[in-house]
Amino acid sequence: MATSDAVSQDLSLQRQSLLGWWRSGDPWIWLTSAAVAASVAAVLGLISLLAINGLAHFWPSQVMSIEYERFGAKTHIFGELSERESIGRRQFMEANPSYDKPVPATVERWLIKTGNRQANPPDFRWLFAHDVIASSVPQDVVVIERTEWGDAFGLLVGIKQKGEIVESEDLWEEFQARIERTASIREEIDALQEGSINGINYELESIRLEKRRRQLDDIHEFSDLEAKEERLRADYAVIERQVFDLTTQLERDTASLALADGRITDIPISTVIQAWMPNSMSVWRKLGLYCKNLWNFLTDDPREANTEGGVYPALFGTVLMVLLMSALVTPFGVIAALYLREYAKQGPFVQLIRIAVNNLAGVPSIVYGVFGLGFFVYAIGGSIDDLFFPEAKPAPTFGTPGLIWASLTLALLTVPVVIVSTEEGLTRIPRAVREGSLALGATKAETIFKVVLPMASPSILTGMILAVARAAGEVAPLMLVGVVKLAPTLPIDGNFPYLHLERKFMHLGFHIYDVGFQSPNVDAARPLVFATALLLVLIIIVLNLTAITLRNRLEARFRVSIN
Amino acid sequence: MTAYNLPKISNRRRLTNTITAKVIGAGGVAVIAAIVLIMGYLFWVILPIFAPTSIDVLDNVSYQPEDVLAIGSDDSFEIVTLVRGNGHVEFRNPSTFELENVAEMSAMPWRDAILVFPTTDTYAVRDTSNEVRFFRISHQVRYIDNTRTLEQRVEPVFVNTTYQLPQDTADFDVYRSDEDLRIVARRQDGSLLLAEFEEVDDDFELEFPIENTIEAPPGRYRTLFGPRGRFLFNVNEQTGDFQLILVPSVLRPRVVQSSSFAEDGKAPTAFEPLLGRYSILVGHDSGVVRQWSLSPSEIGTVFKPIRSMDFDAPILTLASEQRRKGFVAVDANNTAHLAYTTSNRVLTSIDFDAMPKLLVFSPRADRLVTYQADQIQTYAIQNAHPEISWNSLWGKVWYEGYEEPVFSWQSSSADTDFEAKFSLTPLLFGTLKAAFYAMIFAIPIAVAGAVYTANFMSPGMRAWVKPGIEIMAALPTVILGFLAGLWLAPIVEDHLTSVLLCVIVLPIGMLLFATLWSRMPSKVLSACDGWFAAIAVPVLVFFTWITLEFDQPLANLFFSGDAKTWMYEKLGLEYDQRNALIIGIAMGLAVIPTIFSIAEDAIYGVPQHLVHGSLALGATRWQTLVRVVLLTASPGIFSAIMIGFGRAVGETMIVLMATGNTPIMDLNLFQGMRTFAANIAVEMPESEANSTHFRILFLMALVLFFITFMFNTVAEIVRNRLRTRYGNL
Repeated sequence: MATSDAVSQDLSLQRQSLLGWWRSGDPWIWLTSAAVAASVAAVLGLISLLAINGLAHFWPSQVMSIEYERFGAKTHIFGELSERESIGRRQFMEANPSYDKPVPATVERWLIKTGNRQANPPDFRWLFAHDVIASSVPQDVVVIERTEWGDAFGLLVGIKQKGEIVESEDLWEEFQARIERTASIREEIDALQEGSINGINYELESIRLEKRRRQLDDIHEFSDLEAKEERLRADYAVIERQVFDLTTQLERDTASLALADGRITDIPISTVIQAWMPNSMSVWRKLGLYCKNLWNFLTDDPREANTEGGVYPALFGTVLMVLLMSALVTPFGVIAALYLREYAKQGPFVQLIRIAVNNLAGVPSIVYGVFGLGFFVYAIGGSIDDLFFPEAKPAPTFGTPGLIWASLTLALLTVPVVIVSTEEGLTRIPRAVREGSLALGATKAETIFKVVLPMASPSILTGMILAVARAAGEVAPLMLVGVVKLAPTLPIDGNFPYLHLERKFMHLGFHIYDVGFQSPNVDAARPLVFATALLLVLIIIVLNLTAITLRNRLEARFRVSIN
Repeated sequence: MTAYNLPKISNRRRLTNTITAKVIGAGGVAVIAAIVLIMGYLFWVILPIFAPTSIDVLDNVSYQPEDVLAIGSDDSFEIVTLVRGNGHVEFRNPSTFELENVAEMSAMPWRDAILVFPTTDTYAVRDTSNEVRFFRISHQVRYIDNTRTLEQRVEPVFVNTTYQLPQDTADFDVYRSDEDLRIVARRQDGSLLLAEFEEVDDDFELEFPIENTIEAPPGRYRTLFGPRGRFLFNVNEQTGDFQLILVPSVLRPRVVQSSSFAEDGKAPTAFEPLLGRYSILVGHDSGVVRQWSLSPSEIGTVFKPIRSMDFDAPILTLASEQRRKGFVAVDANNTAHLAYTTSNRVLTSIDFDAMPKLLVFSPRADRLVTYQADQIQTYAIQNAHPEISWNSLWGKVWYEGYEEPVFSWQSSSADTDFEAKFSLTPLLFGTLKAAFYAMIFAIPIAVAGAVYTANFMSPGMRAWVKPGIEIMAALPTVILGFLAGLWLAPIVEDHLTSVLLCVIVLPIGMLLFATLWSRMPSKVLSACDGWFAAIAVPVLVFFTWITLEFDQPLANLFFSGDAKTWMYEKLGLEYDQRNALIIGIAMGLAVIPTIFSIAEDAIYGVPQHLVHGSLALGATRWQTLVRVVLLTASPGIFSAIMIGFGRAVGETMIVLMATGNTPIMDLNLFQGMRTFAANIAVEMPESEANSTHFRILFLMALVLFFITFMFNTVAEIVRNRLRTRYGNL
């Protein structure tokens, strides 16, 4: 159509009268261009919306000290401004019918994150700009990120060790040193928990199952197992003691924080993850903290019902599931495509199958989820349990949603993508190439492995990447076949056989759904959901762009090679 | 072949070749079989829904004692319990009927034994001195040396204390809630004695009853407690007259309805309350069984006839299932008919030898026990999914407690006596409603966008725009759903006026701008030709911003201040924050790339000579587009829309997150819906494997599968035809 543009341009661009211009229909062309503009604006808008909201979350924003008056009562708070908007008087009056002061025509309202959920709830509150009496940005306000109760805002007034006040030249330095100390103790405890205790529990469970297995086989000789169990329990007691000692050390220090209203609250340093003074930090220091927060987001476990902390298990689960899925889908997809294109006799039947395969790509993903739950989990998983894990019954091992079933379901969901893409690649290889190979004496298998497949590799790769991109974004079927909001353990750990295919796992997409819609404190969780959504979008866009570039590049090479 | 000097192929190579062919053949067929398997498996799970019901004689033993008062069994029918008039509770093997255990509860003979409503394990027995005592039968599975044994226990309740009924008590009934115990006794003169023990635990003694007497007409009545003990049914067995008495408290009973079950002046021949006692089944001499259900009306809750089933001979005995709304009706020819109320189905029938004195279903309704003069018979029933019929899935059904027949989806509840409502119609309606609004939003934008991109956009820009929009197709829908539900929905609610006006303002604004732009010097015009879309972006954003900014003044102008209130008052439209408008926009965005991409391909593929010919004949660009290009490409656009529709129908996460998921049937743009896909996602994880609910969810998946498969196939065929046509043009 590009060539016709030149022709049409000359016709339409002659100066016309306004009426003539309208009659020619050109205004309607403008309208169609607006449709494209709307689509483009929507794409860009969506991505920038995610980027702005998701990335801003990690920036150590300044903490204000605000004093406001409502219903005659004065309140003094510290807080971060997290949103501001204007609303009409009417809307304002509907929301606050008993408001007692004159209301301006438009009311500016601020959403303030006040933190201190334990001492001063709620941790988010709406303020009206005209209620505010005084606001300032005090230099020495401390923000403390904690393992429970969310952030705390206040002024650091003292540090106690076992309840005794600690004298110190530089309170802030002292505080930081003690945070570091607890952090290292916490790491030790975590290492014991994750390494030894989990390992022992896992072995104890295997012993229990082994006992049960012997009972089922009518063997009543357990002395070896009981000896081992006793040894494990002894080890367990030792480690438990260590953990107990460490925990006592951990709980040694508390920090005293003065809240905005003058109250002093004691915060155990064992719950402190990090602390900073945003108002007196330089931009560079802030940037450093920003990068650290970003890194923590990617590598930390979630806290407080997933509304704080990182997304590491979800990221890990998503990647592992997708890897397993591609290991399953690629060979099968390629084999099916080879069969359809190279081996099957071309005719109406193969054509029919081709249409069917094509259509399967359009079948809703939830249907695959239903199939996966019924067929993989209940039928196949149930049978595996009956055959190989009778000792664990009635608790299911494979007969319950898990990683392997999720990967299989998604493999089935994406196999049409790989088949279609590979077939496209195979069609594009000229007959002459195949015939040349055969004429030189190669067998059909050799032709396929040494000539056809290498030439089709760009298409196979494209298909695989598109399949991965689709699988990474799917949530609906996973809700039925293996994703949970909080998995106690990762599917890979140090216990034999290391990769636990039957375990349930976490997933970024489901994380978004769960935290955004099931969590009690939506205001607190929202920035994290935006960040998670941004992460998922980035992964998928990168995968798609890789697919597109790869296809273009390899296609170019391929074209050269046959000319 | 031998004429050529071909190198000999080694055996190894030959073998590899054969093996490869075999492996690829087998693998290919396996993958394709797996794909077919999906459909087959869904069918296979659904199939039992349509399995016929059967009832067969299982055992028949002679049993001489004639004083059996009640028959029960454990859950899996491994043991049968007989409560006898001699004060014994017998446990017998269900097939051989050998005595396995007996509990001698009382030396004094018993007159009646009834199951305390609504329990399934507690009996109230009345002895000859009219004292009522209570005991519970429990069955416990134990493993002794790895062998499964079933243990029976009979424990007295209320520390074996009794309640003394008046000596002239004809009939009594007992209701038990978590805290309270209510007893009603009908005396010879017809009056009803109500007694209540408040906050009485199973191991408390029965003391300090609150008692009250209600006057009621004399006659041969039967008196029963109704749902939650708050009603009393007093039914005359000779005339069919009945009183419905509301008992909010024992001291303030009130007759709310006095009427008759009689038909054509003839008294009914049998009564039986259905599970939960929200309904009574009334059998008639004409062979009709009518279900009367407590339904709301202007004067409060009253009995209304809600459905009837016709049998050939007078119905003499009725018995209802313990966990579902099914029943068995025995007619004068001793033929027993199995039937189900909700689905209005008569399932099967079998001939009994004689009219049974007692007729009891096992808890799972897979066995039926009959007791007549000297023998006990057991029947095996295969009847897993009686709730399903064409009408109960797709039609209006008059459920218990409803004013009229309705379409309703309500699959589960906390109550065990709940009547499941499995109408797929509201969900199908919701599915189509969501897809419809999404298409209304998506089609104009996607098709117009495709038209512009294929026809008028400069190649440089097209190389960016097309993949850009296609990447949107890969955007996870969970993100669109999240943004729609948590970000867009509140904005739309706050700026409803502007959002609605955008539909008018944006095109007009665009045309206005275009008119001004057309007055630009032709140099600028020709330089920018093909880049209109890029210029349109800021214009569009500007007009949207302006409209949103002036929301309040616009609302004052058009909707006297507030669009939501105005719509509710003037049009009666209710507003949900997460509604079809939000779905339309969010799901519209999800299907735009699909429609855009396919439609653009179709339009771009229109042969050039057609366009050139048209332009050469003097048609303007727009005329050429409408009369030549679009006409030729219309099948392709049609197929794009079909595929987009298929995607919208099956989309799960957006609907799940951006609507309230209430299964209502209302086309209102400002209310939500529940779709098949969202419903599956919500209910499947909680559904018990192989239950009726589970299979219906599979049926939904199959319906979705068929809808999308059909649309996609039609689209595919249309596209293939178009390809051939382009080739021939």
